[in-house]
Amino acid sequence: MKTLVPLKQTVDLVEELELNDDGTDVEREYLTFKLNEWDEQALEEALLIKDAVGGEVTVVALDEPDADQSLYGARAKGADRAVKLTGDFAAGVSSHARAAILAGFLESQSFDLVLIGVQTPEDLDGQTGVILAGMLGLPHASVAVAVEPDGDALKVTQEMGAGVTHQLRIVGPAVVGVQAARAAPRYVPISRIRAAMQEGGLEQQPAAEVEAVSGLTVRRMYAPQSSSHAEMLGADADAAAARIIEIIRERGVLKV
Amino acid sequence: MSHVAFPIVFGIALLVFVGTIGGRIRLLATARPARRFDRLPERVQRTIVYAFGQKKFLTGEQPAGIAHALIFWGFVVLGLQVITQFGRALSVNFNIPGFGPNQLLGPPFFVARDLLELVVIVAVSYMLYRRLVVHTPRLFGLGRAEERYRGAPHWEGILILVFILFIMVGGLLADAGRLVWLDIHGNEREFAPLTALVADIIGGLGRSGGHTVSEIGWWLHNLTVLTFLNLLPLSKHFHIITAVPNVFFGELPPKQVARKPGALQTPPAGVARLEPPPTGLTGIASLADVSWKQVLDAFSCTECGRCTAKCPATASGSPLAPRQLVLDIRDRLYAHPAEQRGAVAGAAPLISEDVLWSCTTCMACVEACPVGIEHVPTIVDMRRSLVDQGRMEPLLQQTLENFAKQGNSYGKSSRMRARWTKGLDFTIPDARTEPVDYLWFVGDFASFDERVQTASQRVARILNETGISFGLLYDGERNAGNDVRRVGEEGLFEMLVEHNMAMLRDASFEAIFTTDPHSLNTLRNEYPAYGLDKPVYHYTELLAELVADGRIKLTTPLTGTRVTYHDPCYLARYNRITDAPRKLIAATGAELVEMPRHGTNTFCCGAGGGRIWMDDSKLEERPSEQRIREAQELGTIDYFVVSCPKDLAMYSDAAKTVGASFEVAELTALVERALGVAEPEVLAAPAGRER
Repeated sequence: MKTLVPLKQTVDLVEELELNDDGTDVEREYLTFKLNEWDEQALEEALLIKDAVGGEVTVVALDEPDADQSLYGARAKGADRAVKLTGDFAAGVSSHARAAILAGFLESQSFDLVLIGVQTPEDLDGQTGVILAGMLGLPHASVAVAVEPDGDALKVTQEMGAGVTHQLRIVGPAVVGVQAARAAPRYVPISRIRAAMQEGGLEQQPAAEVEAVSGLTVRRMYAPQSSSHAEMLGADADAAAARIIEIIRERGVLKV
Repeated sequence: MSHVAFPIVFGIALLVFVGTIGGRIRLLATARPARRFDRLPERVQRTIVYAFGQKKFLTGEQPAGIAHALIFWGFVVLGLQVITQFGRALSVNFNIPGFGPNQLLGPPFFVARDLLELVVIVAVSYMLYRRLVVHTPRLFGLGRAEERYRGAPHWEGILILVFILFIMVGGLLADAGRLVWLDIHGNEREFAPLTALVADIIGGLGRSGGHTVSEIGWWLHNLTVLTFLNLLPLSKHFHIITAVPNVFFGELPPKQVARKPGALQTPPAGVARLEPPPTGLTGIASLADVSWKQVLDAFSCTECGRCTAKCPATASGSPLAPRQLVLDIRDRLYAHPAEQRGAVAGAAPLISEDVLWSCTTCMACVEACPVGIEHVPTIVDMRRSLVDQGRMEPLLQQTLENFAKQGNSYGKSSRMRARWTKGLDFTIPDARTEPVDYLWFVGDFASFDERVQTASQRVARILNETGISFGLLYDGERNAGNDVRRVGEEGLFEMLVEHNMAMLRDASFEAIFTTDPHSLNTLRNEYPAYGLDKPVYHYTELLAELVADGRIKLTTPLTGTRVTYHDPCYLARYNRITDAPRKLIAATGAELVEMPRHGTNTFCCGAGGGRIWMDDSKLEERPSEQRIREAQELGTIDYFVVSCPKDLAMYSDAAKTVGASFEVAELTALVERALGVAEPEVLAAPAGRER
């Protein structure tokens, strides 16, 4: 099975986020970036499939900050090919533009399956995978928690509400948005990442020139405001118990 | 007594022995190389102290230790007795040249022989008493980790003791019977009180009776010696042959950067520095990856259990017992020697993962082992192989990913590292932009843990008052990597070292001090291999020096305050720093009450070797809680004093869990109070007091 996994660099939230001057985006100058955690899940699922039935895993990333790190990390974990699509992405890339660039790349590739993180912290609607499938005219499933080869087809398990799961049989090629891999993403020791870096072998090609409008503009971004505070009840058990009862009464849970 | 039979028996026994030992030597020769032929004078010295001097027996558990030392020395002298008795197969009056009754060495030999025969008989009887009557638990397996050892037969130890008894009694009877049979007088009786006494007792049997006794004793002695010899390589008593070389080939203390002239620096423990894995090997996954020193370790284990008895993992009910680990390697070597050459010996791993992850790397086992077995480096070697395959628990994996990304275990931005300095009313210089005398390497816990930040601020205030010049690397510092290396993530360790070394090269300073014993260990013992050429102090050493110089004046003695002090493993056992913190405590005027386990014999808090990033909820009782209970036994004490950031966190938690009647305090809390600048109630250091 030939699986392709697009990787996206997202903001590392360990750094404090600040809004830019006109309040339409986060200030990007001081941010650090890391691999989108859902893409990490997608990569793991692709590697699990390769472990089980063999085949090839290709990762592809736009030339965003520290993308090399993520591509080499994926190589060290077991991806066979790593491709970097070059271009100027400093101003950010919308989900539509990203999907169009990826579609441009995919048209020249042969593959059985595209696994992509179901969402990113910057795209909580999970659009990229959906748009990509639409552009390529391929079947699509989202919020997958397992993608397993099933004869010539794929068995995709989706997580629905209230703990209900839903199994689909898809005849590929297909695009699947991965919520979680069947196993936690594997650890790859630093020495292997370094070995992959020394080995090199990143394929580079220019990203397709695309005209893609998302139809949305950000008018204003707001910093989250804390709306409530934790109340510490202190060490005295009796006083704390009395206060808890008081709170329950205040909130109208207890009527007497 | 010229026997035809004996040379034949002797020849056969020797042939069998050579055959067996050949098999053992093959295991050594097949093993991977290890560099243990350097610094020969130091090796000779340690062999004299630890092997021939029996140092660990004399300083360890008693009276078993002294009993062993006496048997050992007995054997050295009685080796001459064995040669003499073998020689008497050829001539009834054979003596080693120079050791004849009227030669220079004869009389002293007779005295020593008799004395040691008596001593060994007494010591062996005591050992038998422990095995047969007292049933000392250490000899039969401890904790759940040694269930297999407990289930194994234990007759071998008894058999060997009986053999030793036979050799002693046989030699004695051979000599005494000979005195009667040949009616010998003179030096052979006068300088041999025990032999003479036995000769007197059997004198009534007449000369022919004496002959019979002598024959029986002689055969008993010689046959037992030959049987014993052949049993050695097949049993745990192989250590009689391998222990001395194993001590000789032990890891020597790493070379350190010299400190100021006049400053006393005790060499660290040999295993304070870990070797990187050899090129082409990620770690130990099977017997094929084991070095000859590790094979020699396995040969040398006497199953005494001194290691297991000191192990915090065993004591807290985890699946690790150091003795069992070494025996598992040994048994595998004997059962599947082909695995050394790459054959697959079944699906079972050499040592199971849960055992390997249980180690706190506290080094108590290595410290306790009288024959120089190095358990901890072997465990780390095996962990390296697990890490290479990505096999570890999720919390540890997350932590390693945090290190890789942010350079600290918390996964916080490195820009937050020096945030604790915001609580100070002065600014600590940035050593990267301003030359300083001392560079303070703060470490993760002291930087990020709220409880420990308070202690860091206190150290800063005390040092600031003295006017000494010190600075920080601020956001340039990364975790020093001590525990990352001991988790087995060598590549990550190297990455952290490279980053820190680049920062240190950019900074201008004369010496490093650190508040963290774990950082101290790697900076002092491992960083020199990566180019660090400055001395490294623990903050207690620096403060003790400043107190001695009079630059810190403790004007308000804490008279009437009773404290106990917990030695951190990486400070006391790894780096032998035990005096400086005690000098500081003494300078505060507080009364120090020692716990039974202190100094280099300290007990681990359970956090080391990466254990702090692993699940400890399955332990029967955490080592830290056992330690707090140990302190509870001391009667009324006011403070449990620590000098390691991890200890402050671990023991604050443990004291709460146990419901301790004392408070856990970091050492400078006492110092600051003795300076007369802090009110008593701040000693317990609640989180975020200054902010």
